[in-house]
Amino acid sequence: MATVPKVDVGTDYKEKYGFFVPEDYVFKAKRGLNPEIVKEISWMKKEPEWMTKMRLRSLEIFRKKPMPKWGADLSVIDFENIFYYLKASDKQSTSWEDLPPDIKKTYDRLGVPEAERKFLAGVSAQYESEVVYHSLQKELTAKGVIFTDTDSALRDHPELFKEYFGTVIPPADNKFSALNTAVWSGGSFIYVPKGVRVDVPLQAYFRINAENMGQFERTLIICDEGSFVHYIEGCTAPIYSTDSLHSAVVEIIVKKNARCRYTTIQNWSTNVFNLVTKRAMAYADATMEWVDGNLGSQITMKYPSVYLMEPGAKGDVLSVAFAGKGQHQDAGGKMIHVAPNTTSTITSKSISKAGGRTSYRGHIKIYPGATNSKSFVKCDALLLDDESRSDTYPYNDVDAENVTLGHEATVSKVSDEQLFYLMSRGITRSEAETMIVNGFIEPFTKELPLEYAVELNRLIQLEMEGSVG
Amino acid sequence: MPFTLETMEEIASLHGEPAWLRKRRRSSFDAFERLPAPSRIDEEWRRTDVSGFDPGQYSKLEHLDGQKLVLPSTLPPGVILKPLRQAAQDHPDLVEPRLFSLVHADRDRFTALHAAFFTGGTFLYVPDGVVIEQPVIGQHFSHEGGTSVLPHTLIVAGKGARFNYLDEYIAEDGNEIGYRSGSTEIFAGEGSQVGYVAVQKWGRNAWHFADQRAELQKDASLRLFNVTLGARFSKTRVEATLQGQGADAELKAIYFASGEQFFDFHTLQDHQVGNTRSDLLFKGALQDVARTVYAGLIRIEKGAARSDAYQANRNLVLSDHAKATSIPMLEIDNNDVRCTHGATVGPVDPLSMFYLRSRGIPEATAKRMIVQGFFGDVLDRIPFEHARALVEAELEARLG
Repeated sequence: MATVPKVDVGTDYKEKYGFFVPEDYVFKAKRGLNPEIVKEISWMKKEPEWMTKMRLRSLEIFRKKPMPKWGADLSVIDFENIFYYLKASDKQSTSWEDLPPDIKKTYDRLGVPEAERKFLAGVSAQYESEVVYHSLQKELTAKGVIFTDTDSALRDHPELFKEYFGTVIPPADNKFSALNTAVWSGGSFIYVPKGVRVDVPLQAYFRINAENMGQFERTLIICDEGSFVHYIEGCTAPIYSTDSLHSAVVEIIVKKNARCRYTTIQNWSTNVFNLVTKRAMAYADATMEWVDGNLGSQITMKYPSVYLMEPGAKGDVLSVAFAGKGQHQDAGGKMIHVAPNTTSTITSKSISKAGGRTSYRGHIKIYPGATNSKSFVKCDALLLDDESRSDTYPYNDVDAENVTLGHEATVSKVSDEQLFYLMSRGITRSEAETMIVNGFIEPFTKELPLEYAVELNRLIQLEMEGSVG
Repeated sequence: MPFTLETMEEIASLHGEPAWLRKRRRSSFDAFERLPAPSRIDEEWRRTDVSGFDPGQYSKLEHLDGQKLVLPSTLPPGVILKPLRQAAQDHPDLVEPRLFSLVHADRDRFTALHAAFFTGGTFLYVPDGVVIEQPVIGQHFSHEGGTSVLPHTLIVAGKGARFNYLDEYIAEDGNEIGYRSGSTEIFAGEGSQVGYVAVQKWGRNAWHFADQRAELQKDASLRLFNVTLGARFSKTRVEATLQGQGADAELKAIYFASGEQFFDFHTLQDHQVGNTRSDLLFKGALQDVARTVYAGLIRIEKGAARSDAYQANRNLVLSDHAKATSIPMLEIDNNDVRCTHGATVGPVDPLSMFYLRSRGIPEATAKRMIVQGFFGDVLDRIPFEHARALVEAELEARLG
């Protein structure tokens, strides 16, 4: 879509230019949420007018939409007491000494290198992977792949951006997608041209700078026909954040015959509310795979979904959640079958410990006309003690002929037989339990790149010892 | 709104109901007036559209005297079996503390309406240690369309009591329009063994609302079986609270929806204490443009260790335009439990079909055999022979 910038000084002069610039010319972050702040964010980023307008419209929608009444208790979020945009310089105020001791201890135990630790903790902005990033960038550019942060993409690839932004998840989708669209900042933008396969998994890690770990990330991935990309966000080591609300939006378009895999390992510190909307559109014979691990945060509500838009599309969600003390992981997946001959699977594994609560919440919707579609959902929950809780809320709607849909779920504890077997081999109880839990989530771990899998296993070990969180 | 306070008072005075029951009807009526109509924002009613239903259209109440009770030839001494309203007068000590204590009148507009205007229905009280060998049968007839038939069944099983009960909801006119509700409360005392079957065969244009709730004490065992065949709109809640250790609830159902029928089932297996067991299986076949919604919850409370709960919903979709929704939910607050659930929605298995066809069986016959086979394993769980024969004959007639 071609854009003709309209210059119409007079009618919207005030809206566009009537903001107040502080005397010292340094942007001072303010708490709270109102049209002025949204306009300031947009101005700071030198965004085109359509984006400013979209942000303002989204803010309106956010205001109007009620808080969701289902799922976790979100009433404690005070939207007026949040910084919606911080510049890099504002963010680095944390010092290593100020970090909570349990986070430091975890870094130690995981064996995370010093520089990386500081980066994860939000103490430093620089990270050695920049070198890796630069050589990777050269390779990608040669293939025509765009891999950049979302703010730069809006600036450097405006046409592509405008064509897809907000098409998979419109602002009015839900309260938090509206909030994100109003105040988004950071996130990744990936475009893979026709027929291009990106062999190296692209990691947010590579191109991270201090601006990246935003509260309101916005990621947009476009896989053109016949292409392939694997994107990895997050990391196993806990990420310390002083922000209490994180609300990201991830939009993915997987065109004909393309395949996209999106791996997330979320391990926010346990003061964070993590409310994320993730959705992909899969077209003819395309494959979309979400691999989603949730370990940290106080509350996570996240249901990666795939809209199967054309015949032969395939959707996959593999989800793991771990809830320790005071945590509630409300995660799952959604598969919306719109076209015939589409298939989907959701596999969910959850572990609750020390009073933690995990909920699987899913929706399979098979629309009229989506004949010969198949969907299978499997949820397994492991409860490690009698203080913890596990819920399953699967919604299955079948409105088409010749559809096969199956749902299965089990909830259990660590079995006495397994424990007995391991302990009779001289393994201590806690080691045995750790082994059983690691075995339980193995279908997930084996889908991860090796270094992540190793770290995850180590992290589970730590969680099981009760030394963390 | 012709369901008025006056009509209600009339019902009450006509039959000389005791003051406590009048008062209860009045407060239910208040709840009915106060409560909003269920909206699509309500999770329970999202897929269940009642906007086309106006109970006021059917405010003529049919046969205030209740129903026909098919009594066993002899009843053991101490057993009370009579119309509920009669029992309210004769045995207030038994009825007053229990009536609408499980099925709450103020749960929604329809339960409130039922509690304010219920007419027919049975009260069955079986004292401690008493066994009734033959099944007790309550038949609720509707003779004409355009009316309301609102029977309520109250069953009390004393310690170690053992018996079977069948509620049959029968329409004389298969195409009748009307408002029907058949609700049931079951108190299963310590060590009792209760079999309960409800067969709903209202006319194809009726609106049916049913609330069944059972409370099980220590070592009580309940086998509850629902058969839903009639009505254009049928909403049934089946709920069991396991209150005493060793309690065991088996909740099974079959439904066959054809034409434009819409069936909704909401179930609850509430394990409040440990060492309890519940087993739920709802199986349905859908034909034509029928729609069904199943939503069930297993709830295991914090202290309910060593509970064992199972929940399954299986849907056989026989036509291109039938729609099935299945929402099996779990809320587990204790780790020392065994909980499994499953849901399936699918067409006739093409392999089975191929096998039968290759044996020279015509397609229609093969399909019928597959449906019969599908229901076969649950039919075996109907707690007593009389009901089993009845249900088999009904299914046979409907499958053609």
